[in-house]
Amino acid sequence: MDTLFIAAFEVLSFGAIVVLVVLGLGIIASMMGIFNFAQGEFVLLGAYITYLVHSIGLPVALGMLAAPIAVGALGLALERLVVRRFYAAPIVAMLGTYALGLIIREVVRGLTGGLYLSVPEPVGGSITIGTLHFATWRCVIVVMTVLVMAASYALIAYTSLGLRVRASLENPSLARASGISTGMIYSVTFAFGAALAGLAGALIVPLFSLFADLGIRFVIQGFVAVMVGGVGSFAGPVAGASAIGTFSAALPWLMSPVIADVLVFVLAIIFIKVRPQGLVSGRGV
Amino acid sequence: MSQVSSTSTGTRAASCVIEPSQTLTISASANAGRQEVLPVIEVAVLIIAAVAPLLLQDYITVYATRVLILCLFALSFDLVWGYAGILSLGQSLFFGMAGYGVALLSRDFNVASIFAVIPLGTLIGFVAALLLAGFLLLGRHASSIVFVSLGTMTGAYAADRLAGGSYYLGGQNGIPSIQSMSIGSYALSEGPAFYYLALVILILVYLSSRFLLRSQFGLALAGLRENEQRIAFFGYKVQHLKAIIFAIGGAIAGIAGSLYAFHEGFVWTTMLGVVMSTQVVLYVLFGGSGTLIGAVIGTAIVEGLSFWLSDNYRDIWPIILGVLLLLVILFRPLGLISLVLGERERVGTFGPSPKEIRNAAS
Repeated sequence: MDTLFIAAFEVLSFGAIVVLVVLGLGIIASMMGIFNFAQGEFVLLGAYITYLVHSIGLPVALGMLAAPIAVGALGLALERLVVRRFYAAPIVAMLGTYALGLIIREVVRGLTGGLYLSVPEPVGGSITIGTLHFATWRCVIVVMTVLVMAASYALIAYTSLGLRVRASLENPSLARASGISTGMIYSVTFAFGAALAGLAGALIVPLFSLFADLGIRFVIQGFVAVMVGGVGSFAGPVAGASAIGTFSAALPWLMSPVIADVLVFVLAIIFIKVRPQGLVSGRGV
Repeated sequence: MSQVSSTSTGTRAASCVIEPSQTLTISASANAGRQEVLPVIEVAVLIIAAVAPLLLQDYITVYATRVLILCLFALSFDLVWGYAGILSLGQSLFFGMAGYGVALLSRDFNVASIFAVIPLGTLIGFVAALLLAGFLLLGRHASSIVFVSLGTMTGAYAADRLAGGSYYLGGQNGIPSIQSMSIGSYALSEGPAFYYLALVILILVYLSSRFLLRSQFGLALAGLRENEQRIAFFGYKVQHLKAIIFAIGGAIAGIAGSLYAFHEGFVWTTMLGVVMSTQVVLYVLFGGSGTLIGAVIGTAIVEGLSFWLSDNYRDIWPIILGVLLLLVILFRPLGLISLVLGERERVGTFGPSPKEIRNAAS
């Protein structure tokens, strides 16, 4: 019984991590129609900034605060300088953002010297319920994921900025005619997606430790999750990420980790083939 | 790449199609009287490649052989992406599977004859690509380009992981110390002999690809890349065309993989994985997708630069590569070859020129 609870918590916390990483990717893909291959490197960059703040002697929590802001700012700059040119051609965007990701990854590799660097958890210890112990940091991640998800949803569904974002997705020319600066909206959306990735990187770095290929692992997972969930809505990527996260965490309990890892992806691809529109079809929130 | 800039060409090519007597002959443009650049470049590259081993030191010849094999691999990606518009991010799957296949042939059956190795590698690549294409591309719904790229990438990732976890395939270490490839009783070790073998195979594959692409089939492919829907309306089975070219691409990647395995003397999981797949994307984008020679030139330039730079600037070389790639994508979406090669010639002409048709009619 205890093992079951422990397993359930593992699944939950890993699922939360995947949702956190995929959220930014999903928002950019759904609201802008761009598959951002640099998203994994934004996660990496968030992790690196947290490490940087920690290494100069400031508290880790401060680094976690700085990471989304810095990565969001970088996202804004990159959108203005580079990504903006790709909107007419989504495939070129995939290749262009891949090049961007390559640059960021190799810069971080140079800065870290190709080492695995660890960052301590800002909140250590564990929470004890009866005979069960849950790592506090994993609980924090679960709570943060729920909060971030709720906040993002509220932002897109209920605020006037969210309305303008959705209008720009739905019908860009009509949105422009109605006085919405779509270029501006795209910049903000991209920066927001990047900031979410930065936050995700900052929160998970104590668990995974920092290395240059941290992002690659998540970017494939993220794309599969977005496709499984369905592009075009807010709920789709979240649903897809939950599904992928749950399977990725649960299957290794049943079979060898390598087989489980591969099986998740293969099942996901078969699912997308059978149901191309994903779990949640349709646009909007 | 080509999607962006060639819409106008697509329209132009198609707008001069309809002439009742010759529905099958399309001439994209009248090239008569225009200096053709493409054959000149091809011949120049061929001459450089042919004399290179005579001028280079031995260890560089070994490196150049690897570059030739990678050129072959780049051609396979260029066929599926540059000509058919299928973004295969898992081309290394076929490259690596063929490599592992021939390595096993050598390890378990002690067979290293070139007449067994190359056909086997080709077959493995072809069958694997055909199966994957059957799953990814065929079916009731036409697959989106993002799905195909994701599917192929997942294939490469899965193969990488599985090979790394398999004891039979040597795990992360791969299969080391493959014997030399043999032609009859002659053992082919790395050096000028292997270089010329790779060159001959590259030329053969290049010429057959060129022939294929200038045929009716290649014309349909070019149309498919420019405007898939229109080609479908003409009555072509678009998905079948894609599956066929994907399988051919897989076969070529298979040849490259089997050569690579014997040239390096070992196979390891990177050959199968996403890193290798993205490498080949870099080559082709750099040189210029949609021209065969662009893939060759791109491979030679990227690998050549990396050979010179990685000695002195090992740490920043990948960053430079990334920046160069980004610049090419931003400002030269058709690759470096587009600096000297006009759009008109890249798209090419098919069938007799309008002038000849007029002469024939009168």
